[in-house]
Amino acid sequence: MTSATARPTSASTTSASTTSASTTAPLVFTNVSHWYGDVVAVNDISCTVGPGITGLLGPNGAGKSTLLQLAAGILMPSHGSVALYGAAPAGHPAVYREVALVPEREALPARLSARAFVAARAAMLGVVDVPTAVARALALVELDTVASRAIDTFSKGMKQRVKLAAALVHEPRVVLLDEPFNGLDPRQRAQMLTLLEARADAGTAILLSSHILEEIAGVASETLVLLSGRLAASGDYRTIRQLMTDQPHVVRLVTSDDRALAAALMQEPTVLGVDLDGHALLVRTTDYAALARTVAPTAQRLGCTLFEVQVTDESLEHVFAYLVKR
Amino acid sequence: MTTAPTVPLRPRPAYGASAWAILQLTLPRTFTAPVLAAMLLLLLMPMGFGVVFAAGGFLAGDPTAFLVQRYDQLVSALATPILALLLGTSAFSAEADDGTLIYLLTTPTPRWWIVTVRMLFAMTGTALLSLLTVYGTGYLVTGLYDPLQVTRAFGVAAAFGGAAYAALFTWLALRTRRALVSGLVYIVFWEGILSSTFPALHYLSVRQWMRAVASALTLAQDQRLTDGPSLRAALIGAAIVIVSTVIFGSRALARPRLTRTAS
Repeated sequence: MTSATARPTSASTTSASTTSASTTAPLVFTNVSHWYGDVVAVNDISCTVGPGITGLLGPNGAGKSTLLQLAAGILMPSHGSVALYGAAPAGHPAVYREVALVPEREALPARLSARAFVAARAAMLGVVDVPTAVARALALVELDTVASRAIDTFSKGMKQRVKLAAALVHEPRVVLLDEPFNGLDPRQRAQMLTLLEARADAGTAILLSSHILEEIAGVASETLVLLSGRLAASGDYRTIRQLMTDQPHVVRLVTSDDRALAAALMQEPTVLGVDLDGHALLVRTTDYAALARTVAPTAQRLGCTLFEVQVTDESLEHVFAYLVKR
Repeated sequence: MTTAPTVPLRPRPAYGASAWAILQLTLPRTFTAPVLAAMLLLLLMPMGFGVVFAAGGFLAGDPTAFLVQRYDQLVSALATPILALLLGTSAFSAEADDGTLIYLLTTPTPRWWIVTVRMLFAMTGTALLSLLTVYGTGYLVTGLYDPLQVTRAFGVAAAFGGAAYAALFTWLALRTRRALVSGLVYIVFWEGILSSTFPALHYLSVRQWMRAVASALTLAQDQRLTDGPSLRAALIGAAIVIVSTVIFGSRALARPRLTRTAS
């Protein structure tokens, strides 16, 4: 990692790093909790974020934004400690030479041009050669041709890119992104991914949040799953995906002959069990696709009508809830 | 693996460059259409009274007494504090509301410097606009003739009071999410009613400090001017407000009250 020593940070004695390696890690959370009044937003999280792209996955309200703001030093942990290259970020504005936060909210200074806004950021960040850095950042997000326009004339996707340019203008070593793919179309999403992957390849530590697993699939080398403020799981994408597919899926069927169909489906190897729930059948299966292929022919063979076929547990909350119960 | 291009950063905060950047983020958030309309109205009101006086209508009489009364009621207690409220709170309040304050805060610029630049902007703006309306009104009533130096005295007092009010309201914008409403309540009840009713509160009122400054600079004798606190108390009071704004404002900025976002 060539950039790790490019800008040495002074190691702070306030950091409570648990291992000797963590003092040099870009971002370390040690037993971090944060509460707003009596609402616990983040509950006893310990983890290390290294160079490369780390995904922060969780449903809305899981505490993702709070965790990112803690990492950026915007919020102070109620308990535990956050260390950016060994130093606590909260109350130490000098850390913003190394870390940038791309907030979830779309709001930007509407009447400024994109160039003026990014230049204002660069000046406040202490960039020596502001025009060059601004031009490069705007070119990076492909806004260089429209940079003189006021930001309020921009589309949602363009605003996301302005936010990104404002964050990357000083080439920080840690970039925190809160739901960066919101409002992007597939092409813009692919562009942003390419850009972030290039940053990651150059040694930048990137922590990005999302509530959609597929969104960070294949992007993040490491994924942290957050649920109700707790770290529910962590690992590479394959591990997380496996944890989710191992869970039995439940499909709800409303048919004209529940008992006959239940008996027939029980013969299928992928069906774990069938429950009769009032006027519906709840079929537990390990494999959606196999069930989808067999249910219609089976019903046809038995001469019963399928009124309703509904996947009941596809919501992310369900999958997360499963991970937590493990 | 490629290496990220390194952007050279200044080893120390760039005070000049960051002040200009802070101003660029301040101006469009402050001078919105409703604020400009309100400011214009505030500036024109004392001058409107001046025009009526000059026309020799029902307000006609001793120009000095007229000016002292209008300056005290329409400038010191109304135009100057509300101008300061608008200039001191608009930017911070708007940024805290929509979350864009984060773009100022996630920079190594020292917090006290962000507060100081915003405060100086509000102080300068309020002082200049207050001077404009004082001299405008004075010119309409007595022309360039100002033998008792009433207009000059109130011009200095308005600039001084404008600076104190602007510092106070900059701090208020960092202290509360409802700065505009709290500021108006303060102006109407504290400065408008309580401080002019109870002499014990003179030392805690910017409007009374303005009277003290005006009284020290004019030859006019008016009961309004002799009631106030001493000039020394006024100067010390204003200095305390300004220093406190920088100290407590920077502390408040270190714990920003951004609107809670969905996590």
